[in-house]
Amino acid sequence: MDLIVCIKRVPQTAEAEVKIDGSGKDIVKDRLTFDMNEADSYALEEAILLKEKSGGNITAVSLGSAEAEDTLRIALAKGADSAIRIKLEDFGELDGFKTAALIREAIKDIKFDAILTGCMSTDDSYYQVGPTLAEMLGIPHATLVSKIEVADQKAHVHRELEGGLIEHLEMSLPAVFAVQTGINEPRYASLIAIRRAAGKEIKVIGKEEISSEAKLNSTLEELFIPPVGERAEILTGTPDEVSKRTAEIIKEKGLI
Amino acid sequence: MASKKNVVVQINPEIREALLEMGAVDAYKCYQCGKCASVCPWFQVGTYEFLVFRFPLETVLGLIASSEEKEELAKEVDKIYRCVGCEACVEQCPLGVKIPDILRSARRILVDFGSYPETLKSVVQKIRNVGNPLGEPRENRGDWAKDLNVNAYSSDMELLYFPCCVPAYDARIQKVAKSTALILQKSGISFGILGDKESCCGEAIRRAGAENVFTETARSNIKVFEEAGVRQVLVSSPHCYVTFKNEYPDLGARFESLHTTQYLWQLIDAGRIRPDKEFKKKVVYHDPCTLGRQSGIYEEPRNILKSIPGLELLEVEEFSRNLSVCCGAGSGGLWIDWPVGERMADIRIKQLVDTGAEVIVVACPYCLQMFEETVKSMNLDIPVMDVTEILCEALGE
Repeated sequence: MDLIVCIKRVPQTAEAEVKIDGSGKDIVKDRLTFDMNEADSYALEEAILLKEKSGGNITAVSLGSAEAEDTLRIALAKGADSAIRIKLEDFGELDGFKTAALIREAIKDIKFDAILTGCMSTDDSYYQVGPTLAEMLGIPHATLVSKIEVADQKAHVHRELEGGLIEHLEMSLPAVFAVQTGINEPRYASLIAIRRAAGKEIKVIGKEEISSEAKLNSTLEELFIPPVGERAEILTGTPDEVSKRTAEIIKEKGLI
Repeated sequence: MASKKNVVVQINPEIREALLEMGAVDAYKCYQCGKCASVCPWFQVGTYEFLVFRFPLETVLGLIASSEEKEELAKEVDKIYRCVGCEACVEQCPLGVKIPDILRSARRILVDFGSYPETLKSVVQKIRNVGNPLGEPRENRGDWAKDLNVNAYSSDMELLYFPCCVPAYDARIQKVAKSTALILQKSGISFGILGDKESCCGEAIRRAGAENVFTETARSNIKVFEEAGVRQVLVSSPHCYVTFKNEYPDLGARFESLHTTQYLWQLIDAGRIRPDKEFKKKVVYHDPCTLGRQSGIYEEPRNILKSIPGLELLEVEEFSRNLSVCCGAGSGGLWIDWPVGERMADIRIKQLVDTGAEVIVVACPYCLQMFEETVKSMNLDIPVMDVTEILCEALGE
């Protein structure tokens, strides 16, 4: 089973202090660490598990700057067989539509049975690249995927819905699966695999190789931190004072 | 009779080369006498197999984190992160083989490839982002001192006091920083702090393998110290002490590092402060690995405690001074939650409590935090204090 996994290198912002930069359209990144987008690391692991069951090849693709090659090398160390970086520097501003169009061009000569993406990236949170890519390729897709089983050229896929429901789909292949976090437990890379990955070639393609005329469907106007709402009361003081006030509020609201 | 199994070992020269490049050169010194095993705290824990004596040979053969099977590899990475860098093995080794450095070389490679525990990733991320492992806002770093009339450091002052992260932010352990400031004020020493200009010393994340973020953080501190004209830095944490003393000079630092126990003993010895209020308790002193074994500072904390009237100082028989057992917080251990039954702090607390002491005394914020949590989880009713906190009380502050 030949698989393509889309991977993005993103700043780690979940527990970080995030500030807007001077352009008003991006965040200050010089005090942040970068890693593989969380959902993508689950997509990569799912691809490795599928390959372990039924063989085949995994190609990791990333649209990013030169540093994204470090992230692709992690994918190679964990189990991808080859890697492609699409030069972000050649294509300017991006949205979900243009990203999908560029990935489609980059993989047009690769034979595949399935494409796995993370369901979202933690930086832009568009949730668009997987479904848009599937539409462009004219193949089926599933989002929020929490289980994938493949048998007889069919995929049995679970999707996680609101209210604790699971939807079970039978899908024809090839298809695109936008994978949820938690679908598996991403592995570590072994030192021997890291060493081997260090010497592997990463194919880099840019505007010479990709003739895409993809335009942006949406443009970023402004990025801002929402004003503090009026309903929230921020408690300040020593831990004793804060816990005393918390207890008072709980009592005042009649919760106990 | 049990049948003998043939064990096939796949030797990986590539791993050996990678580890040697990252600094595991001590592996070749080891002649496998096994003395390290006699002091490794994991042998006292006894419920987790951590065969410390094997790491040098496994390095030479390239067997470290070599499994290509997912579950087995996860166990190997977990093992690499079990070493708390207490250096009990180094101290006992006839050839001084630095096994923690061997494991750190593996950690450095794993960190570069994002293949290390998520909790430590989060710590590295927070130190790069806001300069402390707790993720607290940088601008609040000096808040512990706001009621104490402590000045910002200027170059005409004698000392920079650098509390580092846990004493700066942790509500309980701030008392160590406050006690230190009160003692210095009482003794008339001119000192100041750098507040939000300083960042974590970076010792723990370097030992966890995050070399690049350590270097970046250390350079930022060195620059801030140089610009402020700092000559002497007083620290509460032995971890700051060793990294400032032994590692920052390689990055161009030119300042003297002093631990509070050294400096405060000098003040008592010179008669500049006199602890005259009774502290009528039996106390047992726990030698922090980084202050004792790794820095040779055994007497100063004891001298301070002995100078306090009424205080009876107890020792853990057989496991004191260079044979002290680690609390488990070193080299990133503070942030890894090992399963109940596999915690070295439990073993150490039992040894300390068995002396009959009424108070456990430490001289390290990591030990303090670890033991505070451990006495609670073990349902024990015994206070844990830092040497500076007791001294501060004995000075009537």
